[in-house]
Amino acid sequence: MKPIFSFLILFLWIQTLGFTQTILSGKVLDEKNQPLPGVNVFLKGTFDGASTDQNGSFRFETTESGTQILVFSMMGFKSQEVVVELSAKIFEVPSLILKEEFNELNTVTISAGAMEASDEKKSVILRPLDIVTTPSAMGDIVGAFQTLPGTSTVGNDGRLFVRGGDASEVGIFIDGLRVGNAYGTTAGNVPTRTRFNPNLFKGTFFSTGGYSAEFGQALSSALALNTKDLAKRSQGDLYIMSVGGGYSHTLANEKRSLTISGNVFDLRPYQALIKQDFDWERAPFGRDVELAAQQKSAKGGLWKVLARTESGGMKLWQPQPGQSTRGMLINLKNTYSYAQTNWRKGYENGWSLFGGISYSQNKDILNLGGLDLERKSQLTHAKWTASYDFSDRLLVKNGVEYFRNDFSEVLTNENLKRTFNENQGYLFSEWDWYFSRKLVLRSGLRAGISSLADEKWLDPRTSLAYKISENGTLSLAAGRFHQLPEERFRVLNPNLKNTESRHLILNYLYQKEGKTFRAEAFHKSYDHLVRFEGMLENPQQVRNEGKGFARGFDVFFRDRESLKNTDYWITYSFVDSKRSYFQYTGQVQPDFAPKHNLSVVVKHFVPNLKSQLGLSWSFNDGLSYTDPNQPGEMNSKTSSFQNLSLSWSYLPRPNLIIHGAITNVTGHQNIFGYQFAQAPNEQGRFESLPLGQGAPRFLFLGIFFTISKDKNANNLNNL
Amino acid sequence: MKKSLFTLALAFAFVFSAFANDPAYESAMKKQIQAMKTIQNPEQSQAVVNGFLRIAEVKNTEWLPIYYAAYLQTIAAFRFEVNKDQYFDQAMELINKADKVAPNNSEITALKGFIIMGKLSVDPMSRGQEMSPLAMQTFGKSIALDKENPRATTLMAQMELGMAQFFGSGVEKACGLARVGLELFAKEEAKINEDYLLPTWGKREAEQVLSACK
Repeated sequence: MKPIFSFLILFLWIQTLGFTQTILSGKVLDEKNQPLPGVNVFLKGTFDGASTDQNGSFRFETTESGTQILVFSMMGFKSQEVVVELSAKIFEVPSLILKEEFNELNTVTISAGAMEASDEKKSVILRPLDIVTTPSAMGDIVGAFQTLPGTSTVGNDGRLFVRGGDASEVGIFIDGLRVGNAYGTTAGNVPTRTRFNPNLFKGTFFSTGGYSAEFGQALSSALALNTKDLAKRSQGDLYIMSVGGGYSHTLANEKRSLTISGNVFDLRPYQALIKQDFDWERAPFGRDVELAAQQKSAKGGLWKVLARTESGGMKLWQPQPGQSTRGMLINLKNTYSYAQTNWRKGYENGWSLFGGISYSQNKDILNLGGLDLERKSQLTHAKWTASYDFSDRLLVKNGVEYFRNDFSEVLTNENLKRTFNENQGYLFSEWDWYFSRKLVLRSGLRAGISSLADEKWLDPRTSLAYKISENGTLSLAAGRFHQLPEERFRVLNPNLKNTESRHLILNYLYQKEGKTFRAEAFHKSYDHLVRFEGMLENPQQVRNEGKGFARGFDVFFRDRESLKNTDYWITYSFVDSKRSYFQYTGQVQPDFAPKHNLSVVVKHFVPNLKSQLGLSWSFNDGLSYTDPNQPGEMNSKTSSFQNLSLSWSYLPRPNLIIHGAITNVTGHQNIFGYQFAQAPNEQGRFESLPLGQGAPRFLFLGIFFTISKDKNANNLNNL
Repeated sequence: MKKSLFTLALAFAFVFSAFANDPAYESAMKKQIQAMKTIQNPEQSQAVVNGFLRIAEVKNTEWLPIYYAAYLQTIAAFRFEVNKDQYFDQAMELINKADKVAPNNSEITALKGFIIMGKLSVDPMSRGQEMSPLAMQTFGKSIALDKENPRATTLMAQMELGMAQFFGSGVEKACGLARVGLELFAKEEAKINEDYLLPTWGKREAEQVLSACK
């Protein structure tokens, strides 16, 4: 009886204790000593707690006693725990400061040189959808980037030219892995396109200078394309276009997805309808097959495969100045394959790992007025990176890379062959130091080694960003960049060393509710550029002797907010560039670097018409060229380049898009340079032919139809 | 004797705690669910969110408190002048935690779809293409997990209505879904008593969709 009695006493005692209440109160401040409302303050392991009010004050009662842990927590802030000894009726907690966690929304981002295209991220300049809806781009990735600051449109080339650099100075990467021969092979003055379909990518990162130590072998620019993750649903997509057609099929579930597509294009029917200024023997044609697969592993890893193979060709007569014949017949056949696989995974403990390998193979069979030439290039790139977040203030990324490059060039009739084989290795390390939410320093180092050039080099890179106001950021970037000369020169002289550039960039970025303003000034110096004697068609004594510079500024303004259903951007880039390169002995303005570049893109959505109307206008003040009838090099300039393009996308149903576009609506006579006869005529003048456009305008019409056997939709119908 | 008494006391304590904790949880939940109905501004919303998060902290095997916190954060983003993207992102973070506690739950999946719909509504022009199929797929999954979940059906109806309005196509599918949703709400209402803690919201939304059908 007695023990039970004592048990009851004990029970009652506990109960009485339970009725003693303590009132806890206090105040929470942020790092600026301002009251912080909405903080969750509670005793660990109990339901007792409260939120801080507008004055940062909290107050609550508890029946707990003794040693307790008081927790202060709020999303986006670092939680804090305080040990309290509850004995008195009232417990006054000393004022406490809660620190905000560094995250993408509240912390400075380095914006020097960088332009991101993504749906999610903050420092976005261009959205993935913009690539397909910019009228002048005609669905080409690089076409859309040509409306961004720091780029120049060279209408008879089609590739990306950045800040007085030639097209080879832009490195193109897919999921961090290098793409060899990313542009289609072309001949004469026919502009080329990127081989890859913009729909493959969920986002892009385009840098016009001062970029990360992760990227090498690019003197001017890095264009990093990131492929889509798991496909959302199984579907079929059918395209019928004025230049061809294709079908793509996707199979998807929650763990894995697979897309296989096939396309054919042939400009022959189009050219039969619309008069061309080029003398085509066979219009450009091609076909491709592409495969993309993604698989999620149980613990958050993602594995991707992308493979593509294509073939195509064209045949055209190239008129020769001073001759009345059709000129020279050029016949081009190309086959290309690209395959890559990569794997990435983030771990809870702060590590994230990436590994991948890519392989590109390009083969051109050319016949240039009777001369048979065969070129083959292979590039393998393997890469492994490991990133670690020490805290939200210190992040590191380390990587190791290996490249293998094989090139051969055969003059079939003469049975002459030239080849080179190259191995390259790289190590890089990059550290991000956040001194505060307003100030970040990125410092990186990239080390490289080449077997063919027999050279080792080191590239330091650094950038600094400071948030000067709530919406404005000032960034500075500097670095050294190395790039081995183009394959066509290395095969002539395997001893060629790296070309080199140095960048210095100052950037101001202002972003607020759908408005973006960006201004950037830069200085770039070049050294050890390729020089030779003779002409580009037959260079002699190829060597690293050229020097040069490019300086200028660009401004960009985008507004998606002020005008209803309208999104527009305006870009102006000024480039002052001179270099001694190729056959040019003195420092001249290169023929791919116009001084003034302006572009305007407007997109307007008309809900009643279920349509998006697009307009883009590009202008530059002309390209330089050498007129042999005048003294000096690069002594002349073409008239200005202008291109007004319009497009209309019509969405009558969720699964149907009809897209029409027309370039150069005004039919402006764009001239990209002149081809001069190699010898003067009887009057002692060098005769010339203008290098113009293939046709005044290009028209595109496409129908895109999605067939979706959505399982969910079926489920719905069964309800 | 002493030993058996100790065992008894232990057993008693165990029973006591098992009995005592659940009512405490239930009453704490009821208190917050009541408070939920009186929210007028973001500050009040935050206070109730915090209340649910305190419960979630203690009862970390229950999905409901964290679900409600995510729900309130979503509603606040729709209702109040706040940084919508931030609120939706936080809601998503919370609902993902709930998803870890109770995987393959129809209510959690439906709310996830609702948050995606919210993200979409911030910038439909550029997010639509990516996010509308994702929202549809998520609602579809939620329905597949529980055909009786009126919220899943209602949210799907909202999405269908939005699509129909955008493309100017027929609203029949949206209306049919909303009607099914209302029937399910009627079934659910029959189950609701004062101890009912599970989500009950969404009837007004179903009625709104239906009002567009006339």
